[in-house]
Amino acid sequence: MHIPDGLMDPWVFIAGWALALAALAVALVKVNKNVDERTIPLMALLAAGIFVAQMLNFPVGGGTSGHLIGAALAVALVGLWPAMIIMTAIVVIQGLLFGDGGITAMGLNLLNMAVIAPLVAYLIISVAKGNKFSVPVAAWASVFVAALICAAQLALSYVISNGAYGIDPVLAIPTMAIWHAVIGVGEAIITGGVVLYLAKVAPETLRLSPKNVIKATEA
Amino acid sequence: MERRYLKATAAILVAFAVGLVGFWLVSSELGDGLEVTMDEAGWEEPEQVWQAPLDYGDDYVGGLIAGIIGFAATFGVVYLYMRGTKKLEQPR
Repeated sequence: MHIPDGLMDPWVFIAGWALALAALAVALVKVNKNVDERTIPLMALLAAGIFVAQMLNFPVGGGTSGHLIGAALAVALVGLWPAMIIMTAIVVIQGLLFGDGGITAMGLNLLNMAVIAPLVAYLIISVAKGNKFSVPVAAWASVFVAALICAAQLALSYVISNGAYGIDPVLAIPTMAIWHAVIGVGEAIITGGVVLYLAKVAPETLRLSPKNVIKATEA
Repeated sequence: MERRYLKATAAILVAFAVGLVGFWLVSSELGDGLEVTMDEAGWEEPEQVWQAPLDYGDDYVGGLIAGIIGFAATFGVVYLYMRGTKKLEQPR
């Protein structure tokens, strides 16, 4: 779900940059205040692991593949604000070093994958209050909502540019929704599986998890 | 660096090397959800503004090298940034 250059209307990608930078500025302040030295290697390792996991595609049928975003996994293991920083590092390195996602669209990619996806996962985990399905549901929703927002950005670009940019909403919204509803199932299985596995074999890795995640693994 | 992080790093890289086989089986022909949507809309990607120095490789070895470079770069950026901010916070 990495948006390339040339797809979005300039006003849409400028707004994406503004919103992403504002949210990430808050995340940086929160992380600098609240993260202790012991957490740093875990954050760095999680970021590197998610980068690698994003490279591995799985087929979802109909000639389409999906890959882990990893935002919900990061939220489940280290909380909302560190997850935003982790996802930011991944999206920036993918864009600058590997050309995965455009440089002008990087603000939108950051907004979708480093702000909205972790925020959705965190909200669902918080609301679910330790329900045992909360982590996989949060993982699925993080992909689905981020994709819907991306579809809305495509649609908005199309409408405000009279079709010069973006994709017709009639195509963009249902296509993005259907494919990412399926891709989200993969995200849910991987995220739920990894969190459950860590809770069993290395529970100390969940010491920074939101309390509801620990409750969910015990349920 | 704690020993358990070194172990976890090795485990991730081994899992990646194994999983990369699956990557090559499915990823060479299949686009992701956004790419499929762009294809259905008939949108062709123009030349990108930023020409990245690397890509994800055209074969197994290239992908493996890209993965290791990406792993190291991501780890390094997060680790050094966080260490740097903690150092700045310490009283002089």
